[in-house]
Amino acid sequence: MTGGHRRILVVEDDPETAGQLVDSLTTSGYQVDLAANGNEALSRGGASDYAVITIDRMLPDIDGIAVMRQLRDDGIAAPVLIISALGEVDDRVRGLRAGGDDYLVKPFSFVELLARVEALGRRSDTIVKETILRVGDLAIDLMSRTASRCGKEILLFPREFQLLEYLVRNQGRVVSRAMLLQHVWDLHFDPSTNIIDVYVGRVRRKVDGQQAYPLIHTVRGVGYCLRAPG
Amino acid sequence: MLLAKTLTSSTFKQALIAIGTFGMIVSALFSYVYLSTSSYVRSRSDRGIMTEYSSLQGAYERSGRDGLIALLEQRIADKSFAGNVYLLVDPSLAILGGNLRAWPSAATAASGWAEFRASEPLGNATNRPLVRAMLQIFPGGDRLLVGRDIGDLDSFADQIKTAMISAAALLFVVAGVASILVTRRTVGRIEQINATSRAIMLSGLDKRIPLRGTNDEWDRVAENLNLMLDRIETLMGEVKQVGDNVAHDLRTPLTRMRGRLEKAYHGQRVGEDDQSLIGDTIADLDAVLRIFSSITRIAQIETQARKGAFRTVDLVEIAGEVVELYDAAAEQDGTRLTVVGDRKVLVTGDRDLIFDAIANLVDNAIKHGRAGGEVVVANEIQDGRPVISIADDGPGIPADQREHVFKRFYRLEHNRYTPGNGLGLSLVAAVARLHGARIEMLDNAPGLKLKLWFSAPDG
Repeated sequence: MTGGHRRILVVEDDPETAGQLVDSLTTSGYQVDLAANGNEALSRGGASDYAVITIDRMLPDIDGIAVMRQLRDDGIAAPVLIISALGEVDDRVRGLRAGGDDYLVKPFSFVELLARVEALGRRSDTIVKETILRVGDLAIDLMSRTASRCGKEILLFPREFQLLEYLVRNQGRVVSRAMLLQHVWDLHFDPSTNIIDVYVGRVRRKVDGQQAYPLIHTVRGVGYCLRAPG
Repeated sequence: MLLAKTLTSSTFKQALIAIGTFGMIVSALFSYVYLSTSSYVRSRSDRGIMTEYSSLQGAYERSGRDGLIALLEQRIADKSFAGNVYLLVDPSLAILGGNLRAWPSAATAASGWAEFRASEPLGNATNRPLVRAMLQIFPGGDRLLVGRDIGDLDSFADQIKTAMISAAALLFVVAGVASILVTRRTVGRIEQINATSRAIMLSGLDKRIPLRGTNDEWDRVAENLNLMLDRIETLMGEVKQVGDNVAHDLRTPLTRMRGRLEKAYHGQRVGEDDQSLIGDTIADLDAVLRIFSSITRIAQIETQARKGAFRTVDLVEIAGEVVELYDAAAEQDGTRLTVVGDRKVLVTGDRDLIFDAIANLVDNAIKHGRAGGEVVVANEIQDGRPVISIADDGPGIPADQREHVFKRFYRLEHNRYTPGNGLGLSLVAAVARLHGARIEMLDNAPGLKLKLWFSAPDG
């Protein structure tokens, strides 16, 4: 993501939550505007060019989904992250169908929020066109679906490759367990076990075992991050 | 009270409408029968009169006035002609023969049909008969009247009329009484159901509507309502159980958090301690939130609101994905996790929910099965129904506890302190209920074999 385009519009009516959102996004280097209700969101959203817009599902004046629809009708293409206390899948589907790009259920951890905002911001940035992605001495070939370190091939099951690919595409960024479930397994629920950790553990043994340095790092309480040292 | 309810009940009103309609039809039918019978009887009598007239006329033509007079006398004396009325007069209306004492004034000039009341009784009868007669003037000027006492005919018609009216009246009375009795019975049954409902609202869910053992539709209704009550009672029991368990499962981490924060509040700030304290608190909080979202998820599934997302899905495919997801976890436990069975087993359902349910079952099988054991997921079509079974070779579940494991927060005593919140199987049960699937638990000797019987897919 380029430094010039790190402006985010936060639409949230609860002052304390809004303050926390603004704080954590600002700390991560974003420039944050805050709208406390739907009408303010519409006027601000139309006025500037935002990298990402986060919208609370339930606002005092206009429903969050209606705000998002209006913004889309006004030609605002910025990716929208819907934040809601209504967590169930149906509601999520409704939100995404109405033009939302991602969905986060309250309560959430700010690291999770940042991870998702980062991923959304990148989506509006660039689309990777290369067929071979590299991180340090790791190379993954998107065409032949193979991975190697220092030229030595790593044997991966298709799903393991998908997981590694998702980590590589988001290299340097934190990826939460929920995001992995969503993007690698297309699952929108929390299996409430450490199943993802076990799965990532196996991929990690294959990728990082007996290598000069580890690539996959655990981010405590959130998920994982793939990055080269230095 | 009951009578008032009977009279105002809708069944009774319907019965009245039915009786009214039926009564109208019966009246119309009876009137038709009455009219056609009386006109038939009358036309028969008219034909008789005409036949008699022509035979007398023949006698007059053959043997003249005296011959006819003789014949008339013979007729009047003959018992088989009783009820017949004859009169022969000359042109001046002087009586020549017959049993009538005077030419009827109403028919002085006329010829043809006449109906009149005779001026005097006939023979030794006491009342003046009503006569219907045919009269004609012969070419010589003599007049002949041949008729019949139609009082008898009228009384016959009256008898028919009376019989029909009393039959109709009896019919109405019987129908009315029958409908009151039937309605009373219906109202009585409904009253029973109402009374039970009121008793339940007042005192509790332990009452049931009594069955009469007649196996009729009322018993069916009562049975279904009783089943509904059973289900509500179970749910209420579960809610209470959940309340107790929620209290335990939520209070434990909340108490830990509170204690930790309180200690930190009164104690010295130490960077490293604070860090781990906050980390632990967040982890506990997450556990609490997870329990909450599981509860709301189950609640939402149980409201059946998700049937909109139903489509045809392949159990084999879903099972394959679940096994793939849990492959690593099984490997870590040294458990062999395999999927076997048919190549394609289609069901109508919600993919995410079925995935969730199977994932929970596989998770349980790995967790509670034997370490280093085997977990087999099998998909097949059995008796035309799609079935998925998950079998482990662990300690299994004692037969008497199988019922309970689907209750929210239920955990076998020895599992009380293993990870998990006891909501997994109640989620499975909720998903199964939403899909109309039956859960069967079998002894895998050793271990548990859990089967989910789906219904055959639509279309």
